[in-house]
Amino acid sequence: MATEPVAAGSQAAEQGSIAVRDVSFGFGSGRPEVLDDVTFDVASGEFFVLLGPSGCGKSTVLNLIAGFEQPTQGTVLASGRPVAGAARDRVVIFQDSDSLYGWLTVRDNVTFPLRVQGIAARERDERALAALKVVGLKGHEDKYPGELSGGMKQRTQLARALVLDAPILLMDEPFAALDAQTRSILQDELVQLSVTMRRTVLFITHDIGEAILLGDRVGIMRAGPGSSIKETIVVHLSRPRRRGSAEFGALYDRIHRSISEEVQQALRREDSLL
Amino acid sequence: MTMTSRAGISVDRLEAAARRDPGPADVGDALPPAQRKPASRALLARHSPWILTMLSVAAGVVVWAIASRTLDSPLFPSPLRIAQALIESIGNGTLLADIAVSVRRIAIGFVLGCLVGVPLGLAMGLFPLVRAFCDPVVQFLRFVPPIAWLIPAIMWFGIGETSKIAIIFYMTVFLVLLNTMTGVAAIPRNQLRSAENYGVSGWQLFAWIVFPATLSYSVAGARIAMGNSFAAVVGAELIAANAGLGYRIVDSGQWMAMDQMFGAMLVLGLLGIAADRLARLLATRFLRHYVHADDHGD
Ligand SMILES: Nc1ncnc2c1ncn2[C@@H]1O[C@H](COP(=O)(O)OP(=O)(O)OP(=O)(O)O)[C@@H](O)[C@H]1O
Ligand SMILES: [Mg+2]
Repeated sequence: MATEPVAAGSQAAEQGSIAVRDVSFGFGSGRPEVLDDVTFDVASGEFFVLLGPSGCGKSTVLNLIAGFEQPTQGTVLASGRPVAGAARDRVVIFQDSDSLYGWLTVRDNVTFPLRVQGIAARERDERALAALKVVGLKGHEDKYPGELSGGMKQRTQLARALVLDAPILLMDEPFAALDAQTRSILQDELVQLSVTMRRTVLFITHDIGEAILLGDRVGIMRAGPGSSIKETIVVHLSRPRRRGSAEFGALYDRIHRSISEEVQQALRREDSLL
Repeated sequence: MTMTSRAGISVDRLEAAARRDPGPADVGDALPPAQRKPASRALLARHSPWILTMLSVAAGVVVWAIASRTLDSPLFPSPLRIAQALIESIGNGTLLADIAVSVRRIAIGFVLGCLVGVPLGLAMGLFPLVRAFCDPVVQFLRFVPPIAWLIPAIMWFGIGETSKIAIIFYMTVFLVLLNTMTGVAAIPRNQLRSAENYGVSGWQLFAWIVFPATLSYSVAGARIAMGNSFAAVVGAELIAANAGLGYRIVDSGQWMAMDQMFGAMLVLGLLGIAADRLARLLATRFLRHYVHADDHGD
């Protein structure tokens, strides 16, 4: 249960920091609380990974930070300011690829956020092309989402988020649909982005190895309902990280055990309800 | 765990069934090589939709011809008689005049109906207050068929064009409106959320997301309305009309000119098919990507 001390102080909240304080949330009265007293901080430029059993509320936490939902209790701060709604300093990569616009080509999907800002077409196309190159979709600019595979859709979403140069990236299982090679390339790109450009990343995944490979810290959530952060683990491994090392394995086991406990407890709770 | 896997089996079955559905594509090519037919059969498979269409039409004509021959009644004119009547009505200009009158009524009513139905449907879909206000009226009126308004329409708008156009308009508005409203509700939440994320303004959200995301629904409604308007125009021309295909059917029926009557019915059906085909062609041509990935074809 060793919770690490939180990083940035609330006073000098830096551009790009996230603070979730005593947050509770439920989908309307009469329904069970999804989140009960969630508290964690992500420092500016930090790579924070959220792990937890399916349905525990990871995406819900992300939606609160993104400003799509409002907490029933507690506060959410982004760059030190209370989150009042969605904004493009916190760009979201959604768990489902249905956020792509089916009537626009890949290029037009990726330039869409820039078009909204009124950026000139030339610059839009250049930036889109650069982002598409990063995610390995060059040559597919003129396809429509309906003509893409699941992984290609996911990468289009990624490119659409990257063109914005937002200080905070909120990523909900962005690599879930990818093959191991593509995933590893994109993981490297993402680490680059977070380390060299000092982007703050909140990253949700079910892949413990990926969490250790990428995260500065890993937050583990309890099984719901009424989920909260069970523990936060600092990943002390130096970068670039390799999966083979002994420390990696030890950390993997520790996290695995922690999540298993939660899953087991949830199953027992379900059994007692039946 | 066991429950999900059990559910998984049935879902798999459904998906397999969906995959088996041949759809509009060429089935012959989709078969694995082992099941391929010899060349001549493959040729038949490729052209079978056309061949079957011709056979179907021919069968219809033959059945009609036999019926007309055996019954030998003036109530069942032979296909040849109907064709002659048609040619005659083309010659003396009545057919084209009737078509022009009916098509004009349909076109004006249909276009006006779309022009009102789409914005109203969007507004009802987008604004809960507008929906709350309009929905009771819409829900009520949609169960009052166009034909029920025929008499009041004639009384209010007179026996001229307006009453006929009003009937078509009425029918179109509801179909387009209800479909458009459904379309707004069906916009994937993440499409709206991502747009919100990028900071779209109100009108950008409307013009760049809501309208294109809903377009395929509006078009689907318009297509149904287009089909129904051929029925509605006959209804509208039943009473107090002096031209149009519907009028021709009623009028020649009264004079026992059955060949003329069936000729007009035939033209009506063919026009309906043509209009629907045209709408479909335009939709697949220009709106292909506005349709959600799953509802391609049909
Ligand atoms: N729109 C909604 N309305 C009602 N309940 C919801 C809604 N969305 C999610 N929930 C509930 O909230 C809980 C948390 O959902 P959430 O999507 O945050 O889980 P998650 O941790 O992201 O799961 P996964 O790993 O499977 O994506 C779930 O129990 C779910 O049933
Ligand atoms: Mg989720």
